[in-house]
Order: sequence, then structure tokens, then C-alpha cells
Amino acid sequence: MIAVLGNNGSGKSTFLNVMAGLLEFTGGYSIDGMPFKKMAQAESARRIGFLPQEAALNMPFDAFYVVLTGRFIHSDGRMYSGGDIACTEEVMKRFDVFHLRDRLFNALSGGEKQRVLLARVMNMDTDIFLLDEPFSGVDILHQIKIVDIFRRIRKEKIIIVVIHDLSFAIQHFSRFLLFREGRLLYDMKKDGLSAGRLSEVFGVRVGFAEQDERMFVYTEEM
Amino acid sequence: MRFILAAALALAFIAAISAGAVKIDLLSMSEMERNILFDVRLPRVLLAGLVGAALALSGVLFQYVMKNPLADSFTTGVSASSAMGAVTAIMLGLMPYLPLFALAGGIAGLYLVYRIASYRGRIQPITMLLAGIVLSTFASATISFMKFLSDDAVSSIIFWLMGGFQAATPLKDLILFAVICVSFLSVRGDYLRLDILCFDDTTASSTGVDVNRLRKKLFFAAALLTSFSVGYAGIIGFVGLIIPHILRLGNLVKASYLLPASLAGGAAFMMATDLIARTILQGGQELPVGVITSSIGGVFFLYLLIKRRKELFYFN
Repeated sequence: MIAVLGNNGSGKSTFLNVMAGLLEFTGGYSIDGMPFKKMAQAESARRIGFLPQEAALNMPFDAFYVVLTGRFIHSDGRMYSGGDIACTEEVMKRFDVFHLRDRLFNALSGGEKQRVLLARVMNMDTDIFLLDEPFSGVDILHQIKIVDIFRRIRKEKIIIVVIHDLSFAIQHFSRFLLFREGRLLYDMKKDGLSAGRLSEVFGVRVGFAEQDERMFVYTEEM
Repeated sequence: MRFILAAALALAFIAAISAGAVKIDLLSMSEMERNILFDVRLPRVLLAGLVGAALALSGVLFQYVMKNPLADSFTTGVSASSAMGAVTAIMLGLMPYLPLFALAGGIAGLYLVYRIASYRGRIQPITMLLAGIVLSTFASATISFMKFLSDDAVSSIIFWLMGGFQAATPLKDLILFAVICVSFLSVRGDYLRLDILCFDDTTASSTGVDVNRLRKKLFFAAALLTSFSVGYAGIIGFVGLIIPHILRLGNLVKASYLLPASLAGGAAFMMATDLIARTILQGGQELPVGVITSSIGGVFFLYLLIKRRKELFYFN
């Protein structure tokens, strides 16, 4: 589980878009020894599940169908199988959105939409998940449920998440990519984080307080 | 819904071939009635049905391409540029080549809009809509200018622009049928991709759909359908806009239902409106069919907009 942190416009989303192959880039990277640029679009979609920051839908589909479309790469391209439908039901239950299945997606609240879209991405069942602010608009109860799901699959999957809540990130994530002004400033484990480095990244004074092995973060203007 | 559509299609077909200036009793026909049916009425009814199917399908396809429920052959400018090609043929006295001119005009218009709307290999939906409107306006102005230049061709031009199926022949029916088959079969395998195209481009591409390739394919299939329809029957508005809308409000939102249903719905609608156009006036006179589609279609569309505002809102 990797958290991507940084201020607005620091290049977090660009980084994710490049990783997902949606933006042109120079240089290169490999997945399991295979250069990403050589991968066809279908192949990269089979490897990487991507949740963009702002998703939109312009057809009155119900929430169940929205989640089902995440199975496209696993389908034969013409029809979803019974297995795809079973997976969809399962993932919707896991993300606590199964009760929304018959509701029109666009009639849902912002947080509900976000959870449905997250379930949709997880339904792709890829090895890598790139999630751009998956917690925005999601209530605390569901944030914790979602992070708990991430934690259970972290052994088999790489989960890269853009996140703004510093305390939440420090509490639940193990590796941190810190962006500032379009550059990756630090790539470190939890123990590498320090008040000084975080202050440098965010341009605010960041302080830590530790209690019962829990880290609390407070911030103030410099 | 499938049953209702099939019934509507069958009903419209039977009504359209039996009613008209000469009523034909399908169960006991005289020699003359048989001739009228097979030489005149059947080709015409079939052309109406095929044009309806082609326009409804092209409307659906344009709506997927542009991610815009208001897109159809008219708003992309393809209808108007086809019509401009056709009117040019009338002006030059090259009537036999009219469908070819329409096709050339439609494809030229399409190419222009496509080039304007393409940016770095992507089609920008909003630029495309704007370019389509500009093209439509320009083509209409050109047609008006040509009308002004030649008085004797005016009535022919006007009637042609309002649309009609008088010029139907079995050959045209056959060609249009082939065009519909080719277009429909080329997108039949893409139902799931079409549904995913309704998401934003980022979501659609990262789900594994080659968005730009699919868009181009849809664009050309839709333009082909439009050009042939306009070439054989003139500009008939509203079908590509209203039929898909009604079907979606009838809960046919997935492409696997919507595309086949739009063929059937468009055909039934067009045969019925053509029937009204040729029977509503006394003494064998005909109304241009575009007048009927626009008035019936417009009123019904308004009714839907008012009664079903909520569902339309959630389209966006």
C-alpha cells in the first residue's frame, strides 16, 4: 500500500495518469520485466485498474451495471458471463454498496458514487490499482472499511493511492511518495517520515505526536 | 418491450401497405391492386422503413460518439452537407447522380467536421458539435442561395429538403438495406464497448476500450447511414433524435437493447409517418414527410421533456 502525497498541482495525478498509460511520457518502466510502452491497451488494462479523480457517466445505468463494466477485460468482449455477475455481486457486498444495485448511478450521492466507482475498479481484479483520491466524499465509517479491504489484499496487489488526509495516510499506509512542484521529492517507508521532510513537502509546519503507538499529526502555518 | 416493438413494426407495415390513395385489401387483390402494391407501394413503404431505421441507428451512433444525447445526423452537419450535395446535383441538372452527390457532400462535410474536431488524434466532442452547427448553417445558407438563383428548380428543391419517399425503387431499397446491414454488423460486436464509452474517456480507456478507434468507426458508420438516407429521401429531421430518446425512456439503455430496438423503432415510426403524410390530405395529395415527423415528433418530444424531466436530467 503506497500513499501519494503532495499539494494540489504537485504532479500526483499526472504521475498516476502516466502510470496508467493515459498520458504520453518519456522514459520507461516495466511491469514484471515487461516494458509498459510495449503493452497493448487491453493488456495494460488487464494489469492496471485506474480510478480517475473525476469520473462521469452520461447514460442512465444502474449501479450494478456500472460495477459490472469493470469486468470488461475479463469478458469475451460481447457478453458478461455468469462468473462476471457473481464477481460483481461479491465486490459490491464487500464495499457495502450492494443495496444500491438497482439505483441509477447518477442519482446517488457523491460518496455513494465514489464507493460504487471504487467497487468497479476493484472488480477489474488487476495486480495494480491506481486510485486518485478514492476517499473523497466518503464517510469515515466507509473509509475504514475500505482501508481494511486494502489491507487484506496488500500481499497480492500493489495499491497506489493519492490521499490528502495526512493522519489517515500515516496510520494506514506503509510507503510514501511525496510530490512537490511536479517532482518526486521523497520515496520512503514510514520510519523515514519526519516533521521536517513533511513540512518541506507541504509548505506548512507539520508536527507529530505519538500516543499508544499511534501517530497524530497536526499542522499550522509557517 | 421487445414484443411491443415487434408488434408496432408489423402493424405499421401492414397499415402502410394496405392504406393509401388506393386502398388494397391484402386478402383479395385485383390485378390492378397487385400491380400498385408491388410496383409502387411496397418499394415506398420499404424505403420509408429503411430510412427510419438508418436515421435512428445513425442518431444512436452519433450520440455515443459525442457523449451527447442531442447529437444526431442534423447536429453534426452531415445531413445538411449531404443535402447541399444533392441540391448541387439538382442545380447542375444531374438528377440521376443525386444520391452520389449527397454521399459526396455528406462525406466531405463529415471529413471537414472530423478534421476540425480532431486534436492530437482525438475527437473533441464539443468542438465537433460546434463545427457541426457551423457547417449546418453554412450548408443551409448555400442551399437558400441556390434556391434564389434558380426559380424553376425551387419547388423540387423545397420538396426534396422536406423529405419524401416518392422516388422509391426496389434497387434503392436493396442498397439502403445493404448499407444498414454493413453498418449494423460492424458495431454489433461492440455493445459492451459502447456502454463503457458512456463513461468519461479516462475511465473508458483504462477499462480496456480503445476509445478513439471505436469513435472513428462509429463516426463513419453513422455518416454512411445518414448520407444514403438523405440521398434517397431528403432531410428528415427528428428521427435520429427522438427514437433513441423514447427507447431510452422505455428503459432500453444498454447498447445491446438500444441498437436493435432503434432499427425497429425507427422503421415503425417512419412507415407510420409516411402513411400519414400520404393519406391526411384529400384527393391523393401528399404532405412532405418531414413536416409530419417534425410536428408529431416535436410535440411528443416536448411532452417527454415535461413529463420525464427527471430521467432526462439523470442522462447527464
